[in-house]
Parts: sequence; structure tokens; C-alpha cells
Amino acid sequence: MKNLEMVTIIVNDRPVTAPVEAHESLLDFLRNKAGAVEVKCGCNQGDCGTCTVLFQGKAAKSCLILALQAQGKEVRTIKGFSGDSLMEQLQESFVRNGAIQCGFCTPGMLISSYAFLQATPQPAREEIRNAISGNLCRCTGYKKIIDAVEEVALKRTGKQQDKQTTPSSFSEGQEEAKGNYLLLGGG
Amino acid sequence: MINCEYLKPVDLQEALKFASQFADRARFAAGCTNILPDIHTGKLRDCVLIDISDLKELTGINREDDFISLGSATTVAELLNSEIIRNEAPVLWEAASRFADPVVRNRATVGGNLAYGSPASDMSVPLLVLDATVLVQSMEKGIREIPLRNFFVGPGKTVLSPSEVILRIKFEPLSDFKFYYTKFGKRNAMAISIASLAVGIKLGKAIEEARIALGALAPIPLRALRTEEFLTGKPVQTEILEKASEILLSEINPISDIRGSKEYRLELTRALFLRAVNNILSLK
Repeated sequence: MKNLEMVTIIVNDRPVTAPVEAHESLLDFLRNKAGAVEVKCGCNQGDCGTCTVLFQGKAAKSCLILALQAQGKEVRTIKGFSGDSLMEQLQESFVRNGAIQCGFCTPGMLISSYAFLQATPQPAREEIRNAISGNLCRCTGYKKIIDAVEEVALKRTGKQQDKQTTPSSFSEGQEEAKGNYLLLGGG
Repeated sequence: MINCEYLKPVDLQEALKFASQFADRARFAAGCTNILPDIHTGKLRDCVLIDISDLKELTGINREDDFISLGSATTVAELLNSEIIRNEAPVLWEAASRFADPVVRNRATVGGNLAYGSPASDMSVPLLVLDATVLVQSMEKGIREIPLRNFFVGPGKTVLSPSEVILRIKFEPLSDFKFYYTKFGKRNAMAISIASLAVGIKLGKAIEEARIALGALAPIPLRALRTEEFLTGKPVQTEILEKASEILLSEINPISDIRGSKEYRLELTRALFLRAVNNILSLK
């Protein structure tokens, strides 16, 4: 006999109510109850950072929060940032810099980068490295991700003009469409 | 079969009441950065989780006369953002900056890190070197003050009874000491320490007082009291430091595990200790 309790969590500005068990994590809730499969489950023990969301405005690993602890609280996943200029700049910069390969770490990586740039608008490169150290990427070797975050920081603080889009075999439109698909967790 | 329940007390009194009621099954839950992995790996199956993460009584970083006092539910990120900690307890600030990773630091709490009782607890080492005191409370025993150096009993074991919660941690900032903290792990982020060490020295013409705390080098995080005693009143000379490192190695009891062998940890301790002292001397 399962001991279920109802919980209501504000996911991307929308309240979602569902029954949960006491030991269920916010990650379980988001993926299985709220349909937010853009939040990825990697290690499920706090090491890999793929499940990173904004929890009450701060980056947090959703596998390390009890669903019941989030009662009445605000959670933002990568799908909840449309119209946010900082996040959109980061997403475009990730695509432009080739910071996405398989895409699995991308939702968490973007949220960590976002929270970091909000708090630290003019970071040193080393600070960017440190800021994403809780998010593992097995594809890129991190350099392109750091490049992407750095480019946004420089652009926002007026220190660098828009980079020329590098020529590619895709047409620009195709490249963008593919990028958005990955960024929204479709990969 | 996991048999967990969840309770959210409205205040500290209710939290203590719940803890007393469920005795051995009670687990205080705040950041959950250890509890959830323990549930996922099957280490924790039967518990009543008492959520203390929103209890105001357990928050805040304050100055109280000569002491700095931290609420047990203070997150590691809050330590890093605190001017009091940055300016007056740099050894604790430094350890906080090396703790897990920036995302985990937003959730992990100081009290939780101590109560979990890991031999590699990264908050215990700077707090031991500051000779911190832990203020705890339960229905059965009331409020007790426990020096942190008497707090740890064995791997995962502390002097806390199951219904006892940590309220606050307090320490004197010791502005006349110079400190050095180092953590040695396989990578910089999310590493469980192979060894961690904090040294504090009050230097006059000779070493007036020394404090040494070590993590991941014995069944508990500990102070090297015999080495400290040996160093007191001694001049800073290479032979003295060599002798001190010999005593230090006799005080620890590292294990061989997946992160490093016993022999490796002994050599590492000697190197880290000498590095720490040299760093402190160069701070003058």
C-alpha cells in the first residue's frame, strides 16, 4: 500500500498538482507527473547536473530535492524561458559556438550558465569553468561551452560585437531549427 | 521496498516533537543532498523525513559578541555570499568555495554536512580548526553545547541522538591566527576528498599556538592535538616541522579505498601539512 500525498508545484508559471510518494524527487515529479521531459535524468544522485532547474530562482539539481519540499514553490525548466533575453542569447551562442553535440547536458548546462551570468555579469574565463563544474558534458570537452558563455558575457557588457556566423554546410535557417529542437530537450 | 514518510513542521518545537515521536526512524531533511542519493542507492529505506529546510529558527549568519553564529540550515552558498564569513572567517569561506559544486552549494547545508558524519565532511575541517561549538536540541535532552572536536564518533556516526537537531554552529573568528585550507581530490568539482587539511597558526617570535584539522584521514574528521601541542612555543625551523609532520602521521589512521591507498594518504598528509605551513609563513 503506497502512501501518497498530493503536491502542487508551480512549473514554468503553471501550477501542477499530482500525488507523490514521500521519497520521490522533484526530478521524478517533473518528468513523470508534470510531463517536463526536457529535464534530463543522468546519474540521479547529484553528480552530473543534467537535471538542473531553477528552484525558487536558484540553480538546483532536481534529483536532490524532495517533490514534497517543492510544495507551492516555483520551478523553471529550460522550456520556461521563452522571451527571456539572457537565456535566448545563451541558447543562440551555444548553437553558434558548437557547444551542443548530443544535447543531453544542454538544458542543465544552460540553466547553470544562466544563473551564473545573472549573478556575475562580467566573469573571468576561470569563473565560467568553475560555474559549470557541476554539469558534466561527455562530448564537447567544455571549451566550446565556455566560449559560448564567455561570448554572451562579453556581448552583454558591450565588450564584443556579434561574432560572424561561421560558414557551415547547413543553411542558416536549418541550423537554427536544429538548435532549437535540441535546446528544448527534443534530443 | 521503501517505506518513507514526510512531515513538514511549522516551527522548531513541532520539529522536535515529531523527532521525539518517531525516534529511530526520524531523519531531519534540509538540503537532501545526501538523503536522496541514500534513498536511490537503497542505503536509506525506512524513515520519517522531517523537513526543516524552511525553519527560520535555523537560518542566519550573525555576530554575537566575540562569536560568529550560523544557523544549521545555512547553505554553503550562503556562506560564500556572506561578508561576515568572507572577511572574518576566510578559512571557512575557502572551504565553502571548494565544496561540491556551485549548484549543489545552493542546497547543501552546514548542519547537514556535520550531522551526516562523513569522515570526509568538508565543512567539519574548517570548523574544527576554528574550534567551533555545536548547539543541539531535543525534547529529551533539552539544549546542549558540544565542542565540534567531540562531535564525531565514527563513519556516519555522531554524538547526536536520533531526535536531536543541530540549531546553530558558533565559533570565534580568531583574527590573530593565519589559516590555510586545502582539499585534495581527484578533480576540482564534486570530488570526495582524498585528504583535506586546515592549519591555523598564531605566530609571534615563535609559534604561539597551532591548530590542525584533518578530513578523510581517519574514521572521523579530527584535530591533531598532539602535533598542535608539540608545535606550541617552538621556533619555525625545518627540523621542527619535519618532526611535527612525523607526529601528525602518527595521529591519523587513513584507510585504503577507491580514492587512494593508505600509504598514499600518509605521504600526501606530510606534503599537504608542509605546504600549509609554508603558505602561512609566506602570508606575513
